[in-house]
Amino acid sequence: MINENDPSTLSTSGRLLSYNDAVKEGLATGQAFTALMDQLINTKDPATLVEAAQELSVFVLDSDYVTFPHQYNAADYYLIFMSRLLELHDQGAAVTLQSHEGDQHLTQQLTALGDLGVFAFRSANDSTGGVYYQDQVTGEVLFYLNLKRQLMRMNSSAITKLFVETYLDKLEDEHILAATDLLIAFGQSLKEDFGFDVDFNLLDTSNSEFYAFTTSDLSGEIVDKLFVAAASENYMLKHAQDGAILELSPEVTMKIVSHNTTGAAAWGILIQDKAQQVSWFKVLLAYPFLRQWYLDNLDDLQIRSDSLVF
Amino acid sequence: MQSNSEEPRQEITPGQAQLDSSITQKINYLETLQRALHDRDDRQIYELIDKTRYDREVKKSRATTQTQELADLVANDHQQLSHYLSQNLIEYLGQTYPFFYYDEVQDGEFDIYFGNWWDRRLFGQLDVLNVAFNFDETEYNKLKRTFELSAMNQRYNTDHIAEITSKSAELQKLIDQQDERDHQKDQLRDQLKEVSQKSTLPWDSGKVKEERQSIVDQLSNLADQDEASMNANKQIKENDEQILGLSKEDTILNYEKQSIQQTFEDFSHFESHNQSLYTDYLNSLIGRGQVSADD
Repeated sequence: MINENDPSTLSTSGRLLSYNDAVKEGLATGQAFTALMDQLINTKDPATLVEAAQELSVFVLDSDYVTFPHQYNAADYYLIFMSRLLELHDQGAAVTLQSHEGDQHLTQQLTALGDLGVFAFRSANDSTGGVYYQDQVTGEVLFYLNLKRQLMRMNSSAITKLFVETYLDKLEDEHILAATDLLIAFGQSLKEDFGFDVDFNLLDTSNSEFYAFTTSDLSGEIVDKLFVAAASENYMLKHAQDGAILELSPEVTMKIVSHNTTGAAAWGILIQDKAQQVSWFKVLLAYPFLRQWYLDNLDDLQIRSDSLVF
Repeated sequence: MQSNSEEPRQEITPGQAQLDSSITQKINYLETLQRALHDRDDRQIYELIDKTRYDREVKKSRATTQTQELADLVANDHQQLSHYLSQNLIEYLGQTYPFFYYDEVQDGEFDIYFGNWWDRRLFGQLDVLNVAFNFDETEYNKLKRTFELSAMNQRYNTDHIAEITSKSAELQKLIDQQDERDHQKDQLRDQLKEVSQKSTLPWDSGKVKEERQSIVDQLSNLADQDEASMNANKQIKENDEQILGLSKEDTILNYEKQSIQQTFEDFSHFESHNQSLYTDYLNSLIGRGQVSADD
C-alpha cells in the first residue's frame, strides 16, 4: 500500500518529490520569516509592528529539511520591537541596539545611562510568551512585558535598586529621569497604541496612584523616624485623620495613608501635585531625607509590584 | 361662680411668702437663662452659672447675693450647656491659641491636643463652663522645662540622648575589639601552658601560683568582655529605639515651644494669658455684645 505520508512506501521519484516539497516548505517558512523581519524593521505603523513582533516571538524557523545556522531568539525580537516603537514615537535616539555577531544576540543601551546599563529581554518561561527586561550587568529586572496578554508591569524593587541606589552617585538626576521617562514613554505607547494594561508602579505620576508598602502593618516607629528626619530638614510631618501628611512644597504633598483608593485597609503613599507630574520615584530623587528613610526601611516600605510576575 | 372666691382668703404666713419668693426667684432665674439661650447671649449664661466669679473677675466687685443654689438648678444640664457654650469659646480660642485642637470625646467634654503634627500630644482637657484649660501636669511640666533648657541651648532630652549614645559607642568598641581580644586570649593561653610546664621548684611554687592566677584572671576578664560583646548588637538596637523615642519627644517639644513663641513670645506670657482667660473671654463677649448693639 502506498502511503504519501510515509516516504518508505514511496518510489524514488516520489521520495524526491516529497523531499523537494519539504525543502520548499522550509524555504517558504524562511520567506515568511524575512517578510516579518522586514515588517518589524521597516514599518511605520505601530499596529503592523506589534503584529510582526508577536508572530516572531513564537516563530519556529527551522524545519526538518531546512535549518538556519544564524538565528536570533524570541527575546531579541522584543528588543527590536521596543526600539522600533520608541523610534515611531520620536524617541529612537534614546536607545541604541547592539548586535553581537559571535553568538547572534541583541542588547540595548539607554543613551541617558551612558555605558552603565546593558539591557536585554529574557524569557519568563510562563508559556504565554512573557519576557523580562533585564540589566545584564546587575541582573536587575526593570519590567515584565507580555505581548500576547497585552500587559506591562514595572518592577519597583529593581527600579529602586538601579536608579535610586546604584546609579545615584554615578549619574546626574536629569539623566536618571531621562532613563525612567523612556520606560514610561514605552509603557505609554503600549497603552495608547494597543490598549495594553500597564502598571507604572512608583514611576506613576497620577495623583490617584496608591503606592502600596510591602508591610500591611506599618509600625509607628517607622513614621516616627520620618517625623524626626523631616523635622531636621525643616519639614513638618503633620497629623491626618488617616495617617500623616508631609507638605514638600506648596505644590507637592505626600500622604501616608492606611487605606488604598478603593477604601480597603492597606498602608501606602499618595503623592499629590496639581500638574500630576510628580511620582514617588521623583520624590525619592529630589529629597535625600525621604530617600534615606525609604532605603533604611526598605523591608517594610518597598512599594509592591505585581506579585503574579515578580 | 367658683367656690373659692366665695370663701374668705386665708392669711399668707411668712413661711409661705418666703416660699413664694424663693420660687419666683427660681422661675426668674430659669427664665433669664432660657432667654439668654434663645438670644445666644453666652455672657449672660456665664454670669448666671457662676455669678460670684463673674462679679469678682469681670465686674471687679464683690457679689452681694448668694446664687449658688440657683446655679445648682441646672447642674444636671452642665453637659449640654458645656456643649453649647463650647462653640463660641472654641472659636475664640482658635484666635488666641491657634495651636490647640479640641476633640469632643463626649457631649461637652473636650480633650486638648497640642499642634497638628504627627503624634501630637494629648495636652489636657478644656473646662468650658469655667473657661479654663486643665493641662496634663506631666506634659505641661515637660514643656515648661523645655523653655528653661532652651535658654542654655539644650533640648529636653539632650543629656539623656548623649548618655545613651556614649553607651552605644562603648558597646561598639567592645564589638570592634573582638579580634584583638582573641589574639590576647591566644597569647595568655600560651603563657599559661608555659607556666604549667615550668619545673616547680619548692621555693618557686608561690611565685608560679601567683603568675598562674594572674593569667587566669585576665582570661576570665576577656571572657566577660566576649559575653558582653555578644549581647552588644541587641543592646545597641534597643538604644537606637530609645534614642528615636527621645528625639521624637524633643521634636514635639520644640514644635510646641515654637508655637508658643509665635503667639505669646515666651512661656510666662502664655501662663499669664491662661490665668486671665476667663476675664479675657467674658470681656470679649461683652465687647461683641456692644458691637452688635451698635449695629
